[in-house]
Amino acid sequence: MILRLSLFLWIAAAMLGGFLWAPLVTALGASTRVLYFHIPSAWITVLALGWSMLHSVQYLRTRRLDHDDQAAAAAELGVLFCIVAAVSGALWAKAQWGTYWNWDPRETTIFFLLLIYGAYLALRSAIEGEEKRARLAAVYSVMAFVTVPFLIFVVPRLYATLHPSPILPQQGERGAMDPRIRICFLAMLAGFTALFFWILSLRVRLVRSERRALSESAAQS
Amino acid sequence: MPPNGSNSAAAVWAVLRKECRSEWRTRYGLNAALLFAVSTLTSVSFAVGRLPDRSDLLAALLWVVLLFAALASLAHAFVREVEGHTLTLLRLVASPTAIALGKLLFNLLFLAVLEAVTVPLFLVLMGGPPVHWGPFLLILGLGSLALAATTTLVGAVVSQTRGRGALFAAVSLPLLMVVLAASVSGLRAQWDGNPVATEARLLAAYAAVVLGASVLLYDHLWED
Repeated sequence: MILRLSLFLWIAAAMLGGFLWAPLVTALGASTRVLYFHIPSAWITVLALGWSMLHSVQYLRTRRLDHDDQAAAAAELGVLFCIVAAVSGALWAKAQWGTYWNWDPRETTIFFLLLIYGAYLALRSAIEGEEKRARLAAVYSVMAFVTVPFLIFVVPRLYATLHPSPILPQQGERGAMDPRIRICFLAMLAGFTALFFWILSLRVRLVRSERRALSESAAQS
Repeated sequence: MPPNGSNSAAAVWAVLRKECRSEWRTRYGLNAALLFAVSTLTSVSFAVGRLPDRSDLLAALLWVVLLFAALASLAHAFVREVEGHTLTLLRLVASPTAIALGKLLFNLLFLAVLEAVTVPLFLVLMGGPPVHWGPFLLILGLGSLALAATTTLVGAVVSQTRGRGALFAAVSLPLLMVVLAASVSGLRAQWDGNPVATEARLLAAYAAVVLGASVLLYDHLWED
């Protein structure tokens, strides 16, 4: 309870800081503030995919359904954060580039991540039997994950991008963040990460209690 | 059932021969794929006419035709086993890796036949600029290898789902977007007389990574 409350207060404080305390980047104007939501969401999208694939590998090694629950829940949350990242990015692109969507490599990449998540969840819904579903979904997840580096690192090299650098510029470099922006941004990043793991644990507990209830009702009848 | 079948090159070769023979007996997989490719090609050709100087459009259209024909047909090798209830017997005599590798080789061969018909027809109908055959065949070959490696694994997974073939295209496409982008870019560069080394390396790396992961994953495809 205390943890949940402090997470809520933490994110609220970081958000207020971003809007009231941190300055705006001159060139970006009010659209600066999208970075407090957009970059953490994009980070969670990738984190969720990595978490899902890590647990898929663990499932294939140990065959414990706990790992499959983690992998599936992370993928479901990945879709959510992927949509937040794509929509916030599109709004920012409208403000800065004049169009919501123009297949910039970063937009392409986030769109394919969404497709991969969608395909993974569609595949899961089409397989009967828990063990089989877990096994085949894990195989697909690993395969999808090995292709992602190509998307993230290779596609932007084939096509020129207008997107700001994904790596934080250091102090003194061109485009370096104002320290106040940096503090609010890192606080949001930490807050989003904690939020992800909290919702993940809720989702996994829900799936486990569903499974327990099912097996109990099967035992009674 | 433990995966105790033979896992040698001989087993892979035997699976490949068996695939070719059973395909040759009915030929309905190949016929359907060829007809599909030619129909797609015809609709593309009718819709846009001849494109003598648009290498960007030509490269994209050629790969869209090939990709759609492949996605319509490459799950067939596994779906046929499931529908004919022959997978269990096959698994008794060969390891999962041998089965999957044999089917991968079959899919490659299948793609080669498909391309041998579709690509010349495409070039004749669309009337593009002269082809540089070396780079053209390199990109086509590496692209087909990457395509076959990905679709073989996905085909094996999808053949075990409800509705089998229905999901195949949707589930394969996200993994194949890199292949599509690199192959189209490579073919365009070839038509424009530019080097294709970047795209060729990218496709080769992609195929190597997917093949490596596949060999590790094949063992987990079936067990019950």
